[in-house]
Amino acid sequence: MPLQVHDSLDEIIAAQQSPGVWASFTSTIGETTYFRPLRIAETKLLLDLSGGHYFAAYKAFHVALLAAAFALFVGALRLETGVDLAAALFALSIFTGLHTFLGLVKEGYPVNHFLQVVVLVLAAVRLSKAGGSRWIDVAAIAAFIAACLTLESGVLVWVALVASRLSGRRGVSDSALVAMTGLLVAYGLVRFVWLAPHAQGMANASGYGFERLEGSQIRERFGTGLSRFNVYNVLTSMATVLFSEPRSGVFVFFRGWSLSEVPPRVWINVVSSTITTALIVIAILSRGPGRSAPHETRFATMQPTMRRGPSRSAETADLVVFGAVLAASAIASYAYAKDEIMSVAGVFYALAAFWAVRDLIMRGLRAAPAVAVALALLVAGSGWAVRTIGVNHVLRAQAFAFHNDWAWIPEDMERRGTWPSDPSTRKVIIELRDESIAMPIVNPWFVPRWADRVFDVDYF
Amino acid sequence: MDSAPNRRVRPLSICAAAPALAAVAVSAAIVIMAVTNDAPPFWHGGSLTLSEAAALHDQGELVRLIASGNDPNAVYPLRADVLAVRALTPLEAAVGARRPEMVELLVRHGAVVDPTAWRRLHCFAMASGAVDVVQMLDRFRPAGSEASCEGISTPF
Repeated sequence: MPLQVHDSLDEIIAAQQSPGVWASFTSTIGETTYFRPLRIAETKLLLDLSGGHYFAAYKAFHVALLAAAFALFVGALRLETGVDLAAALFALSIFTGLHTFLGLVKEGYPVNHFLQVVVLVLAAVRLSKAGGSRWIDVAAIAAFIAACLTLESGVLVWVALVASRLSGRRGVSDSALVAMTGLLVAYGLVRFVWLAPHAQGMANASGYGFERLEGSQIRERFGTGLSRFNVYNVLTSMATVLFSEPRSGVFVFFRGWSLSEVPPRVWINVVSSTITTALIVIAILSRGPGRSAPHETRFATMQPTMRRGPSRSAETADLVVFGAVLAASAIASYAYAKDEIMSVAGVFYALAAFWAVRDLIMRGLRAAPAVAVALALLVAGSGWAVRTIGVNHVLRAQAFAFHNDWAWIPEDMERRGTWPSDPSTRKVIIELRDESIAMPIVNPWFVPRWADRVFDVDYF
Repeated sequence: MDSAPNRRVRPLSICAAAPALAAVAVSAAIVIMAVTNDAPPFWHGGSLTLSEAAALHDQGELVRLIASGNDPNAVYPLRADVLAVRALTPLEAAVGARRPEMVELLVRHGAVVDPTAWRRLHCFAMASGAVDVVQMLDRFRPAGSEASCEGISTPF
């Protein structure tokens, strides 16, 4: 898939014109709405290291981040038995099938910052499970700093670590968490005090009900202060992870329902997510505050140190982290609803599903509940399978769009007056354009109509 | 756990794993096909002619084909289900498919609109009722070209 032009080419041009990585790092601080200096610096670093193979360098970094995310996710699953493997496969299909995953692969930025934050949060949680040491603390703090300097949702590293600590994980020390909290306060001051004038100028589009509103429409309808629109964004952002509805704030299922036209893909999304959320809820509620799952009791008997109490089970800890990350991500979406912001929560949703499925399978169910769970697993699993396979469909549609965008370079830049005068910068742009245009991209016209109805689409 | 519920562990595990395994297998096949520059069955394409690219809004392919030596002023065949005509120039195909942006892209990449060609294209666009295409063609109207469609036949 080609790199994208919008929100991407300008950054590559800035990196090409920058004298160095540090200059890139500091270039946007205080200048824009956002505070993502590490992302800009990484774009420059990769460009410098590419040796002229820009596309290869950026794509290789993307693939490396994706491999790291998969490795960390699989590493977060407890794989000891056949049941674990079955639950892990189910969870993996959620990891890749949930729509919040799409932003991690379809966005063709030089550095996919959503994916980078996912990797850093997963790495931080991994550190929280390790045996405590000074190096673990240093690594955790480094992960927190890197995440915050990459994207605003980088604060989820702190959220995940605090949730891990509250649920009994001691890999990262209390003093490191205190230091991180101090850094979080400093970050908050920079982001919401120093950069506040820029933040007020944010005008992102967002969904509301059945429609999508532009920034100006949102201000006109709800004003500039906190309003029910912000509450709506928080609640719908949680719902999108749990039920795959709404999508970026727009209730596509109910909109389709009102028009008597709900495409199969929307049914697949909503049904698979709702069943999975129900399984998680059932697994949590049926444990109860004073009960352990049968397998946990056996495990605790074998390893007394893992008993419930001050150090709770890995299952409980992951569920607590999921809840914390879901709530924090939703709160971070207060200004506008965007599925990509919920990508970290989506990963931990898959982890929560792993524990829920594992728990339900090992529970020793009687015949009737076992049949019900089997049906639920088959229906939801089939939905997740279709959604996972559909990722390729979304990527190919996205590739077609990016391919077309490159067709207008450099004419479009000339028209907008942004075509650089510097020959070396022009050379970089033309090379990127030629490389992107040369890629064989299949026209969606060849795609059978059923594929568009069954596989997910890019709504916005 | 008694023995009966224990026996249910395996079928439940299969119910959880089977769809995911199928997805892994299909996704792996798709990745392998992508690496070998192929496409999955539901994304199997074929090569487009320049006129097909113009009709099917394939801007990237249009630029790629011209860059690789295709003449933007030549006549190319069209598949039966792209347009109701079997062969057109890329500009005619863009007008026939009511795609003003493709007209602009073609002109920027070497398609020539002389007075005769402009009149013919203009009449195509007028006949199809595509106001945006007519407006786009007006931007490239050569000096001395006639707007009258008298005696001009359209291919559609």
